[in-house]
Amino acid sequence: MSWRLLDTGILRAAENLALNRALLEAHQAGEGVDTLRFLRFRPSALLGFHQSAEQELELEFCRQHGIEVQRRITGGGAIYFDEGQLGWELYLGRRSLGTADMGAIAQRICEAAARAISQLGVEARFRPRNDIEVAGRKISGTGGAFEGESLLYQGTLLVEFDVERMVQALKIPGAKLADKGLSSARERVTSLQELLGVVPPLAAIQQVLAAVFAAEFGVEFQPGGLNAAEQGRYTQLLAEMDCDEWVQQVARPFAEVPTGSALHRCPGGTLRAEVRIDRRRGMLKQVWITGDLFVRDRRLLPDLEAALKEVAISELGPRIEVFLAQRSADLLALTPADFTQVVMAAIQAAEAGHG
Amino acid sequence: MGAVRGCEIPEDLYYNIENNVWARQEADGTITVGMTSYAGSLAGTIVAYTPKKVGKDVKQDKSCATVESGKWVGPVKAPVSGDVAAVNDAVIAKPALINEDPYQQGWLVKIKPANWDAEAGALVTGGDAMAKFEEKMNADGFGGC
Repeated sequence: MSWRLLDTGILRAAENLALNRALLEAHQAGEGVDTLRFLRFRPSALLGFHQSAEQELELEFCRQHGIEVQRRITGGGAIYFDEGQLGWELYLGRRSLGTADMGAIAQRICEAAARAISQLGVEARFRPRNDIEVAGRKISGTGGAFEGESLLYQGTLLVEFDVERMVQALKIPGAKLADKGLSSARERVTSLQELLGVVPPLAAIQQVLAAVFAAEFGVEFQPGGLNAAEQGRYTQLLAEMDCDEWVQQVARPFAEVPTGSALHRCPGGTLRAEVRIDRRRGMLKQVWITGDLFVRDRRLLPDLEAALKEVAISELGPRIEVFLAQRSADLLALTPADFTQVVMAAIQAAEAGHG
Repeated sequence: MGAVRGCEIPEDLYYNIENNVWARQEADGTITVGMTSYAGSLAGTIVAYTPKKVGKDVKQDKSCATVESGKWVGPVKAPVSGDVAAVNDAVIAKPALINEDPYQQGWLVKIKPANWDAEAGALVTGGDAMAKFEEKMNADGFGGC
């Protein structure tokens, strides 16, 4: 069986995201074909579908630096994207995957992507729910959208990455702290350039990704372009999405997503938590846990942070317990209660408005 | 109360099996719409919900709300056409209600139907719905709720 290999090169964010919708909707209408697409972006700050620009982005900085603000059709959090990252996307039918379980589908695609990235000389792994990481540091974020039986699943691969630019363009709790913010951010993301010391040629990266996806799905890829139906949809959708109305369709005040921090001293060390919560949905949006502490495996902290993203505040205690029960050997003198305590204290600080 | 492979499927509701949604005619004639427990199980915990605005018209089998789970975003397809009469503020505040209580507190929109009698014919209910969900679960390779 043959799938299309589509390389759309470097485009503006509105163009790339209008293509997401055009290709997905055409696939669902039976006008498209199963596709692996490679894409790149001019500097952009991309919101998840349900996010608000006011809450997630430093809009003034983006404006001053010509960073295009756009809204994805896929879920997840805001990301900074420029020419140094490679986007990869799959368009395919749910039925061809043999399962309708969305978590299982995401895992299968991410595990294949992680194998491909590993072939480039780093040890990449899938981390639930949607990251691919190397030694606990994110190298690829992913997300999906569906329309009937058709799926779009997309990821970024950080080939080169300007962490400082990301921190300036996005609102990330803790990242703007003068003393440790940037280094904390650097501890959480990485890039092929940083890990390998060189930037691998783009063609080689694309070849590896295509070969691994081809093997995973038992297909071969044929290079191709957009068909007429997709082109027609694209022109129409670009007009709809390349405007403020699309970007601002979810507009919520920043005050709804306050930040807070807390410190907890215990026999295992000193823990610090920086959180951002969503008052409206009663949810922890993001947490960073740092501090002077002894754990057997440093990646325990980023893994825990990933497991607590977008979790209801009422569920946090049990979630921390369950996660740490699997990693108890890494904890040494720390206890799950230490983590629960510092995270909940930071949440209380955020709720009280003195973050 | 009916169940298929551990997923609660109330026999008195009307379903569009393919879109995995239910409809219930209320005493005032409005149609309450939601995702099935099976749809919630496939999606995982829902973390965001954006309904069409009150007053907007929706078409049968077109989107009446958008939901997000595990970074997947997709539409929920309306089982009937009509105008959106109400959206669920409790679900905006706690989207996981869609998973926890899909047929009561976790409803998605109420629709003032354009033509319930004609469109309800495309929906299935009772034992017929149970059998069709069993078939869908087979096709989806689904183990159970």
